[in-house]
Amino acid sequence: MSRLQLKNVSKRWGSFVGVDNFDLDIADQEFLVLLGPSGCGKSTTMRMIAGLESVTEGEIWLGEKMVNKLDPKDRDISMVFQSYGLYPNLTVYENIRFPLRVRKVPKEQHREMVMKAIEMVELEEFMDRRPAELSGGQRQRVALGRAIVRKPTVFLMDEPLSNLDAKLRVSTRAQIKNLQSKLKVTTVYVTHDQIEAMTLAERVVVMNSGRIQQVGTPTDIYNDPANTFVASFIGSPAMNLVEGKLQDGLFKGPGIRVEGLPKHASGNVTLGFRAEDAEIVPSGGQIAAPMYSIELLGEASMITWRIGAGLVSVKTNKDYRAEIGDVVEARIPAEICHLFDTASGERIKT
Amino acid sequence: MSNPATKKPMPLVALSIAFIVIWLMIAAFPFLWTMWGSFKVEGDFFSRADWMNAITGPATQLQTGGRFTLEGYYGAWVEQAFWRNALNTLIVVVFTVLISLTLGTLGGYALARSGFKYTFWILMAALVFRAMPHVTLVSGYLLPFFELNIWGHLTTTIVVLVAINQPFTLWMLHSFFLSIPKDLDEAAMVDGCTRFQAFRLAVIPVMWPGVITTGLFSFLLAYNDFTVTAMLLSEENTTMVPQIDSFLGSTQEKGKVMYAVAAVVSAILPLFLLILFFQRQIVSGLTAGAVKG
Repeated sequence: MSRLQLKNVSKRWGSFVGVDNFDLDIADQEFLVLLGPSGCGKSTTMRMIAGLESVTEGEIWLGEKMVNKLDPKDRDISMVFQSYGLYPNLTVYENIRFPLRVRKVPKEQHREMVMKAIEMVELEEFMDRRPAELSGGQRQRVALGRAIVRKPTVFLMDEPLSNLDAKLRVSTRAQIKNLQSKLKVTTVYVTHDQIEAMTLAERVVVMNSGRIQQVGTPTDIYNDPANTFVASFIGSPAMNLVEGKLQDGLFKGPGIRVEGLPKHASGNVTLGFRAEDAEIVPSGGQIAAPMYSIELLGEASMITWRIGAGLVSVKTNKDYRAEIGDVVEARIPAEICHLFDTASGERIKT
Repeated sequence: MSNPATKKPMPLVALSIAFIVIWLMIAAFPFLWTMWGSFKVEGDFFSRADWMNAITGPATQLQTGGRFTLEGYYGAWVEQAFWRNALNTLIVVVFTVLISLTLGTLGGYALARSGFKYTFWILMAALVFRAMPHVTLVSGYLLPFFELNIWGHLTTTIVVLVAINQPFTLWMLHSFFLSIPKDLDEAAMVDGCTRFQAFRLAVIPVMWPGVITTGLFSFLLAYNDFTVTAMLLSEENTTMVPQIDSFLGSTQEKGKVMYAVAAVVSAILPLFLLILFFQRQIVSGLTAGAVKG
C-alpha cells in the first residue's frame, strides 16, 4: 500500500549531476537506509521524495500515485531534519500539534493524538517548554514526535542523529528503530555513518557520486561488497585493499603473497580482506613485514603494516605484544579474500 | 558582581561613569534647551541682550505674567492648524511603513530563499538606488507628476517614499531571512503548509524582531523626510517637517519662530514613545539556539 518506487530518477543542475538514474523499489514497512559520503546524492534523493527538490528525469511513485508534480504537503510524508526544523516560537506541544493544525484534522482529536506522540518520544515533562529550553536530544525527539503525530505513508529522516553526541546517538538510534517497528511505516533514512546504517536498516543503499553502488541487507553489503568503494566504506575498520598482480591463482603484491585464489582471473587486481578475518601467526604467514603500529582497541589489538601505498590492518587478541619495526606475520587464507578489478574497482566473482 | 576577577579598579569605574554622564549631557543638551525654550516667548529664547534670558525668561514674565507660556504651542497647533500637518504625517508614515514592510518581507523572503545568481544583482541595484540623493529622484518626478496632475497629493508622496525606502527594507529583511534556517520552511511544507502558509505560520512569527526593526527604520525615514515632502506636497497637504521649516522661514513676523520651536518639541515626543515601546522587540535573538543544537 505505501510502497515507494523510484523509477530511473535523476537530478541535474545544469551540467552537474546530483543523482544519476536512481532506480529502486521500497517495500511497504521497509526500513531503508541511504548511505554514502557527503555529496553523494543521498540527501538530494530524499529531498526529491519529499518534494523539496524537483525531479529532472524519472518518476517517483508513492503507493498507486505518481507524485512528481505534487507539493510536499500533498505527498502525505513526514520528515525529520538534521537541524530539527522546530518552530522556535511554539511550545513542544504546539510544535507537535502543528501538522494537525495545518492539515485541518478535527480539533477534538488533537489532544489525544499529540499526547500519544509525546508519550512515544517520552517528552511528557517538557510539553510546555520552547525548543530553546531543550537539549539537543530532546529537540530531536520533538522533531520525531512531530513526524509521528499523524500516520504518514512514508517517514523520511535526514541524518537525524548527526547533531547529537556519541552516547545520545546510540540511545536515540535504538529509539528510532523501536518506533519504526511499532508504527510499521515505510522509512527512508539518510546517513553517512555506516554503523547507523548497519544497525537500523533492513536494506542499505550505498551511494557514491550520485550513483547507487550496491543495494542489499547489511550482511550482504558487509560480506559481499560489490566494488572497492563499498568495501572501503563499510566496516570499522574498512576492508584492507592491496593492489597487486594475479596469475594462476597466485596473488603477488609488495610484501604479500596469497595462494589458492580462483584461476579464471588474472592481471591487475586488488585483494581485499577484513581485519577480523585474518590472524597473526608466528611464521608462515602471507604477510611478513615490519609492523607500522599497534593499537589497543579494548576488546582486541590492531596491528598495522605499510603495504605498498596503503595501510593494512589485522585484529588480534588484546594481549598481543610487539614493538614497532618488528617483523610480524599474518595468515590470510584464500577463503577470506575478495578480488576486485583494479581498473574498474568492480568485484571479480568467484 | 562580587567576583573579584571581573571587578574593575575604582578609578576606572569613576572615570567611565563620569564620561557617560558628560556624554549624556552633551547629547541631550540641544533637546533640553529646545524643550525649555519652547515655553518662553521669542524675546527670551532668541534674546540678543543676554543668552541667560532664555533660561530665566524676563520677557516671558513681562509679556504673559507667568514664568512659562503655552503661546508657542497654542499658535502652532490652534492658530496655524499644526494638527493637520501632524495628521498628514501620520497618514504618510503609516502607509509608507505598511506598504514597505509588506513588499519588503515578501521580496526579502523570495530573495533569501532563491538560489539564483540574479538575487545578488537585484540587491546591488537596490543599493545603488538607496545611495542616490533623494533629490535626484524627486527632481525627475516633478514634471511627470504635474503633467499627470497627481502632484501635491499624499498618495503620490507615499508612493515615492515607499520607492525610496524599498531598497533598504529589502536589504535589511533579506539578511534577516537569511539568518533563519531553510529547514524551518521546509519542515512546515512537509508538515502540510503551502509555500505561503510556511512563510506566514513558520517564518514570520520568528521574524517579528526583524520586521519591527526594519519597520522602525522605515518609519524614521518617512517621518523625518524633508526633500520629498517639501517638494511634492501642496500647501494644505504638507507634513510636519516642511511646516516647521516654513514657520522658521517666516522670521519677519514676530512670534512665529516660537511656533517652530513648539512644533519641533511636539514632533520629537512620538519618537521617544515609539522607541521606548518597541525596544524589547528591537533586540532580536528569538531564533537563537532553537533551530540548531
